[in-house]
Amino acid sequence: MNTPIDDGNTHLRYAEYVLGLLDADTRAEVEREMMASDAVATTVALWQRRLLPLGEEIASSEPPAYVWHRILSQLGLDTPPHAERSGPAPTRTLRLWENLRFWHWLGLGTSVLAAACLVLLLLPSRQPIAPAATYMASAIAQTNGQVGWTATVDVGHARMIVVPAKPQAIAAGRAPELWLIPAGQKPIAVGMIGGGAPTTLILDPALLAKLGPSAALAVSVEPPGGSPTGQPTGPVIATGSIGVSADAANGRPANLPSQPADNVRGSS
Amino acid sequence: MQDSDSVAPGYSPMTANRTAEQQALDRLLSQTAAGDQAAFAELYRRSSSRLFGVCLRMLRERGEAEEVLQEAWIAVWHRAAMFDASKASAITWLITLVRNKAIDRLRQRREQPLDDPALLDDLVDDDPSPAVGAQNSQEYRRLRDCLDQLEPQQRRSVREAFFSGVTYNELAARCKVPLGTMKSWIRRSLLQLRTCLDT
Repeated sequence: MNTPIDDGNTHLRYAEYVLGLLDADTRAEVEREMMASDAVATTVALWQRRLLPLGEEIASSEPPAYVWHRILSQLGLDTPPHAERSGPAPTRTLRLWENLRFWHWLGLGTSVLAAACLVLLLLPSRQPIAPAATYMASAIAQTNGQVGWTATVDVGHARMIVVPAKPQAIAAGRAPELWLIPAGQKPIAVGMIGGGAPTTLILDPALLAKLGPSAALAVSVEPPGGSPTGQPTGPVIATGSIGVSADAANGRPANLPSQPADNVRGSS
Repeated sequence: MQDSDSVAPGYSPMTANRTAEQQALDRLLSQTAAGDQAAFAELYRRSSSRLFGVCLRMLRERGEAEEVLQEAWIAVWHRAAMFDASKASAITWLITLVRNKAIDRLRQRREQPLDDPALLDDLVDDDPSPAVGAQNSQEYRRLRDCLDQLEPQQRRSVREAFFSGVTYNELAARCKVPLGTMKSWIRRSLLQLRTCLDT
Protein backbone atom coordinates (compact mmCIF):
# COMPACT_ATOMS: atom_id res chain seq x y z
CA MET A 1 0.00 0.00 0.00
CA ASN A 2 1.26 3.42 -0.85
CA THR A 3 0.27 5.80 1.89
CA PRO A 4 1.31 9.42 1.41
CA ILE A 5 3.85 8.92 4.18
CA ASP A 6 5.57 6.03 2.36
CA ASP A 7 5.69 8.12 -0.78
CA GLY A 8 7.43 10.95 0.97
CA ASN A 9 9.94 8.91 2.96
CA THR A 10 12.86 9.28 0.57
CA HIS A 11 12.43 13.02 0.50
CA LEU A 12 11.66 13.22 4.16
CA ARG A 13 15.06 11.75 4.91
CA TYR A 14 16.50 15.11 3.84
CA ALA A 15 14.15 16.92 6.19
CA GLU A 16 15.16 14.52 8.96
CA TYR A 17 18.75 15.33 8.14
CA VAL A 18 18.06 19.05 8.54
CA LEU A 19 16.22 18.51 11.84
CA GLY A 20 19.23 16.53 13.06
CA LEU A 21 17.42 13.22 13.70
CA LEU A 22 19.66 10.86 11.73
CA ASP A 23 22.45 8.79 13.22
CA ALA A 24 26.05 9.45 12.23
CA ASP A 25 26.14 6.85 9.42
CA THR A 26 22.93 7.99 7.79
CA ARG A 27 24.04 11.62 8.05
CA ALA A 28 27.27 10.77 6.26
CA GLU A 29 25.26 8.97 3.58
CA VAL A 30 23.05 12.02 2.99
CA GLU A 31 26.13 14.25 2.82
CA ARG A 32 27.65 11.98 0.16
CA GLU A 33 24.41 12.17 -1.83
CA MET A 34 24.45 15.97 -1.57
CA MET A 35 27.95 16.05 -3.00
CA ALA A 36 27.00 13.73 -5.84
CA SER A 37 23.65 15.21 -6.80
CA ASP A 38 22.56 18.81 -7.25
CA ALA A 39 18.93 17.74 -6.91
CA VAL A 40 19.60 16.30 -3.48
CA ALA A 41 21.58 19.38 -2.44
CA THR A 42 18.68 21.58 -3.55
CA THR A 43 16.15 19.47 -1.66
CA VAL A 44 18.23 19.77 1.51
CA ALA A 45 18.60 23.52 0.98
CA LEU A 46 14.84 23.89 0.64
CA TRP A 47 14.26 22.07 3.90
CA GLN A 48 16.85 24.27 5.56
CA ARG A 49 14.99 27.32 4.39
CA ARG A 50 11.71 25.91 5.68
CA LEU A 51 12.95 24.85 9.11
CA LEU A 52 15.89 27.05 10.03
CA PRO A 53 13.79 30.14 10.87
CA LEU A 54 12.93 28.26 14.07
CA GLY A 55 16.46 29.16 15.14
CA GLU A 56 15.24 32.72 15.70
CA GLU A 57 13.88 31.53 19.03
CA ILE A 58 17.37 30.78 20.31
CA ALA A 59 18.79 33.50 22.56
CA SER A 60 22.08 35.00 21.42
CA SER A 61 25.04 34.71 23.75
CA GLU A 62 28.33 36.58 23.46
CA PRO A 63 31.22 34.07 23.32
CA PRO A 64 34.26 34.87 25.48
CA ALA A 65 36.99 36.89 23.74
CA TYR A 66 39.52 34.06 23.90
CA VAL A 67 37.49 32.01 21.39
CA TRP A 68 38.26 34.57 18.69
CA HIS A 69 41.92 34.62 19.71
CA ARG A 70 42.06 30.82 19.41
CA ILE A 71 40.42 30.92 15.99
CA LEU A 72 42.97 33.42 14.74
CA SER A 73 45.91 31.54 16.15
CA GLN A 74 44.66 28.18 14.84
CA LEU A 75 44.31 29.71 11.38
CA GLY A 76 47.70 31.41 11.67
CA LEU A 77 45.99 34.73 11.02
CA ASP A 78 47.80 36.79 13.63
CA THR A 79 49.14 38.70 10.67
CA PRO A 80 48.30 42.18 9.48
CA PRO A 81 44.82 42.07 7.91
CA HIS A 82 46.12 42.79 4.45
CA ALA A 83 48.46 39.81 4.28
CA GLU A 84 47.74 37.09 1.73
CA ARG A 85 45.68 34.21 3.06
CA SER A 86 47.98 31.49 1.81
CA GLY A 87 51.01 33.70 1.71
CA PRO A 88 54.29 33.23 3.50
CA ALA A 89 54.60 32.89 7.24
CA PRO A 90 54.07 36.04 9.29
CA THR A 91 56.77 38.63 8.85
CA ARG A 92 59.83 38.44 11.02
CA THR A 93 58.96 41.61 12.88
CA LEU A 94 55.65 40.18 13.92
CA ARG A 95 57.11 36.88 15.02
CA LEU A 96 59.66 38.71 17.08
CA TRP A 97 57.28 41.05 18.77
CA GLU A 98 54.93 38.29 19.74
CA ASN A 99 57.72 36.14 21.10
CA LEU A 100 57.52 36.02 24.86
CA ARG A 101 61.19 35.33 25.42
CA PHE A 102 62.08 38.38 23.39
CA TRP A 103 59.99 40.49 25.71
CA HIS A 104 61.50 38.93 28.80
CA TRP A 105 64.95 39.57 27.41
CA LEU A 106 63.94 43.11 26.69
CA GLY A 107 62.04 43.58 29.91
CA LEU A 108 64.80 44.99 32.05
CA GLY A 109 62.74 47.79 33.46
CA THR A 110 59.06 48.45 33.66
CA SER A 111 58.31 51.59 31.74
CA VAL A 112 61.21 50.70 29.44
CA LEU A 113 59.02 47.86 28.26
CA ALA A 114 56.13 50.09 27.30
CA ALA A 115 58.42 52.47 25.49
CA ALA A 116 60.06 49.54 23.74
CA CYS A 117 56.73 48.50 22.24
CA LEU A 118 56.77 51.75 20.40
CA VAL A 119 60.38 51.64 19.38
CA LEU A 120 59.93 48.20 17.89
CA LEU A 121 56.85 49.25 15.99
CA LEU A 122 58.70 52.21 14.55
CA LEU A 123 61.64 50.14 13.36
CA PRO A 124 61.89 50.15 9.57
CA SER A 125 60.18 47.19 7.98
CA ARG A 126 59.58 46.06 4.46
CA GLN A 127 56.06 47.37 4.48
CA PRO A 128 55.37 51.08 4.73
CA ILE A 129 54.69 51.85 8.35
CA ALA A 130 51.85 53.86 9.78
CA PRO A 131 52.57 57.11 11.61
CA ALA A 132 53.41 56.87 15.31
CA ALA A 133 50.06 58.25 16.41
CA THR A 134 48.36 55.03 15.37
CA TYR A 135 50.02 53.10 18.19
CA MET A 136 49.48 53.36 21.93
CA ALA A 137 51.18 51.51 24.71
CA SER A 138 50.54 50.85 28.38
CA ALA A 139 52.49 49.24 31.17
CA ILE A 140 49.93 47.65 33.49
CA ALA A 141 51.48 47.73 36.96
CA GLN A 142 50.48 45.46 39.81
CA THR A 143 49.90 46.38 43.41
CA ASN A 144 53.45 45.21 44.20
CA GLY A 145 54.81 47.83 41.81
CA GLN A 146 55.96 45.38 39.14
CA VAL A 147 54.60 45.52 35.63
CA GLY A 148 52.33 42.54 35.10
CA TRP A 149 51.52 43.06 31.42
CA THR A 150 52.27 45.48 28.65
CA ALA A 151 49.57 46.33 26.16
CA THR A 152 50.22 47.76 22.73
CA VAL A 153 47.36 49.03 20.62
CA ASP A 154 47.66 48.96 16.87
CA VAL A 155 44.91 51.40 15.98
CA GLY A 156 45.14 50.81 12.23
CA HIS A 157 44.44 47.11 12.64
CA ALA A 158 42.02 47.55 15.54
CA ARG A 159 43.87 45.19 17.81
CA MET A 160 45.70 45.11 21.08
CA ILE A 161 48.53 42.78 21.92
CA VAL A 162 48.92 42.07 25.61
CA VAL A 163 52.23 40.58 26.63
CA PRO A 164 52.73 39.21 30.14
CA ALA A 165 55.84 40.63 31.82
CA LYS A 166 55.79 39.35 35.38
CA PRO A 167 52.17 38.71 36.29
CA GLN A 168 51.31 37.50 39.77
CA ALA A 169 50.09 33.94 40.12
CA ILE A 170 46.31 33.72 39.90
CA ALA A 171 44.20 31.34 41.95
CA ALA A 172 43.24 28.07 40.25
CA GLY A 173 39.98 28.31 38.33
CA ARG A 174 40.33 32.09 37.89
CA ALA A 175 41.72 34.11 35.00
CA PRO A 176 42.83 37.67 34.36
CA GLU A 177 40.44 39.91 32.44
CA LEU A 178 41.43 43.23 30.91
CA TRP A 179 39.21 46.33 31.24
CA LEU A 180 39.25 49.72 29.61
CA ILE A 181 38.17 52.57 31.88
CA PRO A 182 37.41 55.84 30.07
CA ALA A 183 37.79 58.86 32.38
CA GLY A 184 34.77 59.13 34.66
CA GLN A 185 33.02 56.10 33.15
CA LYS A 186 32.39 52.51 34.04
CA PRO A 187 34.88 49.80 33.01
CA ILE A 188 34.37 48.16 29.61
CA ALA A 189 35.49 44.55 29.11
CA VAL A 190 38.32 44.23 26.58
CA GLY A 191 38.90 40.49 26.90
CA MET A 192 40.54 37.65 28.77
CA ILE A 193 44.32 37.81 28.71
CA GLY A 194 47.04 35.22 29.16
CA GLY A 195 49.26 34.88 32.20
CA GLY A 196 51.98 33.06 30.28
CA ALA A 197 51.57 33.92 26.62
CA PRO A 198 50.80 37.03 24.58
CA THR A 199 47.15 37.59 23.70
CA THR A 200 45.87 39.40 20.63
CA LEU A 201 42.52 41.09 21.19
CA ILE A 202 40.43 42.47 18.36
CA LEU A 203 38.96 45.81 19.38
CA ASP A 204 35.58 46.89 18.17
CA PRO A 205 35.29 50.43 16.83
CA ALA A 206 33.32 51.74 19.83
CA LEU A 207 36.01 50.54 22.20
CA LEU A 208 38.82 51.76 19.99
CA ALA A 209 37.32 55.25 19.99
CA LYS A 210 37.56 55.40 23.79
CA LEU A 211 41.26 54.54 23.94
CA GLY A 212 43.52 57.47 24.67
CA PRO A 213 45.62 59.20 27.29
CA SER A 214 42.58 59.98 29.45
CA ALA A 215 41.55 56.33 29.67
CA ALA A 216 43.13 53.60 31.78
CA LEU A 217 43.52 49.85 31.63
CA ALA A 218 42.96 47.50 34.54
CA VAL A 219 43.20 43.76 35.13
CA SER A 220 40.80 41.98 37.47
CA VAL A 221 40.56 38.36 38.57
CA GLU A 222 37.48 36.69 37.07
CA PRO A 223 35.97 33.27 36.29
CA PRO A 224 37.68 31.69 33.25
CA GLY A 225 34.86 32.68 30.87
CA GLY A 226 35.05 36.31 31.97
CA SER A 227 33.02 38.37 34.42
CA PRO A 228 29.41 37.14 34.41
CA THR A 229 28.07 40.66 35.07
CA GLY A 230 29.91 42.71 32.46
CA GLN A 231 31.65 44.60 35.27
CA PRO A 232 34.69 43.52 37.29
CA THR A 233 33.65 41.10 40.04
CA GLY A 234 37.05 40.05 41.43
CA PRO A 235 39.92 42.10 42.85
CA VAL A 236 41.75 44.52 40.58
CA ILE A 237 45.36 43.38 40.51
CA ALA A 238 46.94 45.76 38.02
CA THR A 239 46.31 49.14 36.42
CA GLY A 240 48.02 51.33 33.88
CA SER A 241 47.40 54.49 31.92
CA ILE A 242 47.62 54.63 28.19
CA GLY A 243 50.31 56.61 26.48
CA VAL A 244 54.00 56.65 25.88
CA SER A 245 55.45 58.59 28.79
CA ALA A 246 57.96 56.97 31.14
CA ASP A 247 55.64 57.29 34.12
CA ALA A 248 52.82 55.47 32.36
CA ALA A 249 53.02 52.73 34.95
CA ASN A 250 52.16 55.06 37.83
CA GLY A 251 48.72 55.97 36.67
CA ARG A 252 45.72 54.62 38.50
CA PRO A 253 42.16 55.39 37.59
CA ALA A 254 40.38 57.32 40.31
CA ASN A 255 37.10 55.47 39.94
CA LEU A 256 38.55 52.00 40.34
CA PRO A 257 40.27 51.82 43.72
CA SER A 258 42.73 49.02 44.09
CA GLN A 259 41.36 46.22 46.26
CA PRO A 260 43.38 43.91 48.45
CA ALA A 261 44.47 41.05 46.24
CA ASP A 262 43.21 38.38 48.61
CA ASN A 263 42.21 36.02 45.83
CA VAL A 264 45.74 35.95 44.59
CA ARG A 265 47.91 33.16 45.79
CA GLY A 266 51.52 34.20 46.22
CA SER A 267 53.38 36.34 43.78
CA SER A 268 56.09 35.32 41.44
CA MET B 1 5.42 10.42 -7.04
CA GLN B 2 4.86 14.09 -6.95
CA ASP B 3 8.06 15.94 -6.51
CA SER B 4 6.96 19.09 -4.80
CA ASP B 5 10.48 19.89 -3.59
CA SER B 6 11.69 20.85 -6.99
CA VAL B 7 8.92 23.39 -7.41
CA ALA B 8 8.64 25.13 -4.07
CA PRO B 9 6.31 27.96 -5.10
CA GLY B 10 6.66 29.62 -1.70
CA TYR B 11 10.22 30.71 -2.40
CA SER B 12 11.04 33.25 -5.01
CA PRO B 13 14.60 34.13 -5.92
CA MET B 14 15.34 35.91 -2.90
CA THR B 15 18.27 38.06 -2.25
CA ALA B 16 15.93 41.02 -2.67
CA ASN B 17 13.87 39.97 0.38
CA ARG B 18 16.83 40.09 2.68
CA THR B 19 17.22 42.77 5.30
CA ALA B 20 20.08 45.26 5.14
CA GLU B 21 21.84 43.40 7.94
CA GLN B 22 21.49 40.07 6.12
CA GLN B 23 22.88 41.60 2.95
CA ALA B 24 25.80 43.07 4.90
CA LEU B 25 26.57 39.58 6.22
CA ASP B 26 26.32 38.16 2.67
CA ARG B 27 28.91 40.70 1.54
CA LEU B 28 31.22 40.01 4.47
CA LEU B 29 31.11 36.27 3.85
CA SER B 30 31.89 36.77 0.15
CA GLN B 31 34.82 39.02 1.09
CA THR B 32 36.00 36.37 3.55
CA ALA B 33 36.02 33.91 0.65
CA ALA B 34 38.48 36.26 -1.08
CA GLY B 35 40.78 36.08 1.93
CA ASP B 36 39.80 39.43 3.48
CA GLN B 37 40.69 39.11 7.16
CA ALA B 38 39.07 42.37 8.18
CA ALA B 39 35.79 41.14 6.68
CA PHE B 40 36.21 37.83 8.51
CA ALA B 41 36.69 39.69 11.81
CA GLU B 42 33.65 41.86 11.14
CA LEU B 43 31.55 38.83 10.21
CA TYR B 44 32.56 37.22 13.49
CA ARG B 45 31.74 40.37 15.44
CA ARG B 46 28.29 40.57 13.92
CA SER B 47 27.21 36.95 14.00
CA SER B 48 29.16 35.00 16.60
CA SER B 49 26.76 35.67 19.49
CA ARG B 50 23.89 34.27 17.44
CA LEU B 51 25.96 31.21 16.52
CA PHE B 52 27.20 30.74 20.07
CA GLY B 53 23.57 30.74 21.23
CA VAL B 54 22.92 27.83 18.83
CA CYS B 55 25.94 25.92 20.18
CA LEU B 56 24.88 26.45 23.80
CA ARG B 57 21.29 25.42 23.13
CA MET B 58 22.29 22.18 21.42
CA LEU B 59 25.29 21.13 23.49
CA ARG B 60 24.19 22.57 26.85
CA GLU B 61 27.79 22.67 28.02
CA ARG B 62 29.84 25.83 27.80
CA GLY B 63 33.26 24.35 27.18
CA GLU B 64 32.00 22.13 24.39
CA ALA B 65 29.96 24.96 22.91
CA GLU B 66 33.11 27.11 22.76
CA GLU B 67 35.05 24.31 21.07
CA VAL B 68 32.35 23.75 18.49
CA LEU B 69 32.07 27.48 17.81
CA GLN B 70 35.82 27.60 17.26
CA GLU B 71 35.73 24.57 14.91
CA ALA B 72 32.87 26.12 13.00
CA TRP B 73 34.71 29.41 12.41
CA ILE B 74 37.81 27.54 11.24
CA ALA B 75 35.51 25.88 8.70
CA VAL B 76 33.98 29.24 7.75
CA TRP B 77 37.41 30.55 6.80
CA HIS B 78 38.27 27.46 4.77
CA ARG B 79 34.89 26.94 3.13
CA ALA B 80 33.71 30.50 2.58
CA ALA B 81 34.37 30.08 -1.14
CA MET B 82 31.52 27.54 -1.24
CA PHE B 83 29.00 30.15 -0.10
CA ASP B 84 26.58 31.10 -2.85
CA ALA B 85 24.41 34.09 -1.98
CA SER B 86 21.87 33.12 -4.63
CA LYS B 87 21.12 29.84 -2.80
CA ALA B 88 21.04 30.88 0.84
CA SER B 89 21.70 33.92 2.98
CA ALA B 90 25.00 34.07 4.85
CA ILE B 91 23.26 33.73 8.20
CA THR B 92 21.44 30.57 7.04
CA TRP B 93 24.73 29.22 5.72
CA LEU B 94 26.51 29.98 9.00
CA ILE B 95 23.78 28.54 11.22
CA THR B 96 23.65 25.39 9.08
CA LEU B 97 27.38 24.97 9.41
CA VAL B 98 27.27 25.46 13.18
CA ARG B 99 24.31 23.09 13.59
CA ASN B 100 26.11 20.42 11.59
CA LYS B 101 29.23 20.78 13.75
CA ALA B 102 27.12 20.61 16.91
CA ILE B 103 25.23 17.52 15.69
CA ASP B 104 28.52 15.82 14.78
CA ARG B 105 29.71 16.53 18.30
CA LEU B 106 26.49 15.17 19.81
CA ARG B 107 26.91 11.94 17.85
CA GLN B 108 30.41 11.49 19.22
CA ARG B 109 29.16 11.81 22.78
CA ARG B 110 28.21 8.67 24.59
CA GLU B 111 24.49 8.57 25.10
CA GLN B 112 23.63 10.34 28.30
CA PRO B 113 21.77 8.26 30.88
CA LEU B 114 18.09 9.07 30.89
CA ASP B 115 18.03 9.97 34.56
CA ASP B 116 20.44 12.81 33.86
CA PRO B 117 18.78 15.81 35.55
CA ALA B 118 19.55 18.01 32.56
CA LEU B 119 17.51 15.69 30.36
CA LEU B 120 14.62 15.62 32.77
CA ASP B 121 14.60 19.39 32.52
CA ASP B 122 14.31 19.00 28.78
CA LEU B 123 11.34 16.70 29.17
CA VAL B 124 9.36 19.16 31.22
CA ASP B 125 10.42 21.91 28.82
CA ASP B 126 6.90 21.90 27.46
CA ASP B 127 6.40 23.71 24.17
CA PRO B 128 7.90 26.99 25.36
CA SER B 129 7.22 28.91 22.17
CA PRO B 130 7.98 32.56 22.81
CA ALA B 131 5.61 35.24 21.63
CA VAL B 132 6.10 36.30 18.04
CA GLY B 133 7.40 39.85 17.97
CA ALA B 134 8.34 42.55 15.52
CA GLN B 135 11.93 41.32 15.54
CA ASN B 136 10.89 38.00 13.96
CA SER B 137 11.23 37.50 10.23
CA GLN B 138 8.35 36.85 7.90
CA GLU B 139 9.71 33.32 7.36
CA TYR B 140 9.59 32.67 11.08
CA ARG B 141 6.00 33.91 11.43
CA ARG B 142 4.97 31.67 8.60
CA LEU B 143 6.68 28.64 10.10
CA ARG B 144 5.09 29.35 13.47
CA ASP B 145 1.63 29.56 11.88
CA CYS B 146 2.20 26.20 10.24
CA LEU B 147 3.62 24.62 13.40
CA ASP B 148 0.57 25.82 15.31
CA GLN B 149 -1.62 23.72 13.03
CA LEU B 150 0.10 20.47 14.13
CA GLU B 151 -1.13 18.25 16.95
CA PRO B 152 0.49 19.50 20.18
CA GLN B 153 2.48 16.28 20.75
CA GLN B 154 3.76 16.31 17.21
CA ARG B 155 4.65 19.97 17.32
CA ARG B 156 6.59 19.36 20.52
CA SER B 157 8.51 16.52 18.90
CA VAL B 158 9.52 18.60 15.90
CA ARG B 159 10.64 21.46 18.11
CA GLU B 160 12.51 19.18 20.46
CA ALA B 161 14.27 17.51 17.51
CA PHE B 162 15.30 20.84 16.05
CA PHE B 163 16.58 22.37 19.29
CA SER B 164 18.27 19.31 20.76
CA GLY B 165 19.71 17.66 17.63
CA VAL B 166 19.17 14.19 19.14
CA THR B 167 18.51 11.02 17.11
CA TYR B 168 15.10 9.40 16.60
CA ASN B 169 16.02 6.79 19.22
CA GLU B 170 16.82 9.33 21.87
CA LEU B 171 13.87 11.51 21.01
CA ALA B 172 11.52 8.52 21.33
CA ALA B 173 13.08 7.64 24.68
CA ARG B 174 12.73 11.24 25.91
CA CYS B 175 9.08 11.41 24.93
CA LYS B 176 8.49 7.84 26.20
CA VAL B 177 6.92 6.57 22.98
CA PRO B 178 7.95 3.66 20.71
CA LEU B 179 10.42 4.50 17.95
CA GLY B 180 7.84 3.77 15.25
CA THR B 181 5.38 6.19 16.80
CA MET B 182 7.98 8.94 16.93
CA LYS B 183 8.94 8.37 13.30
CA SER B 184 5.38 8.57 12.12
CA TRP B 185 4.69 11.70 14.23
CA ILE B 186 7.70 13.46 12.78
CA ARG B 187 7.13 12.38 9.18
CA ARG B 188 3.49 13.30 9.25
CA SER B 189 4.44 16.67 10.71
CA LEU B 190 7.08 17.27 8.05
CA LEU B 191 4.65 16.52 5.25
CA GLN B 192 2.06 18.78 6.79
CA LEU B 193 4.61 21.56 7.26
CA ARG B 194 5.77 21.28 3.68
CA THR B 195 2.25 21.54 2.37
CA CYS B 196 1.48 24.46 4.66
CA LEU B 197 4.70 26.37 3.87
CA ASP B 198 4.80 25.80 0.12
CA THR B 199 1.29 26.97 -0.62
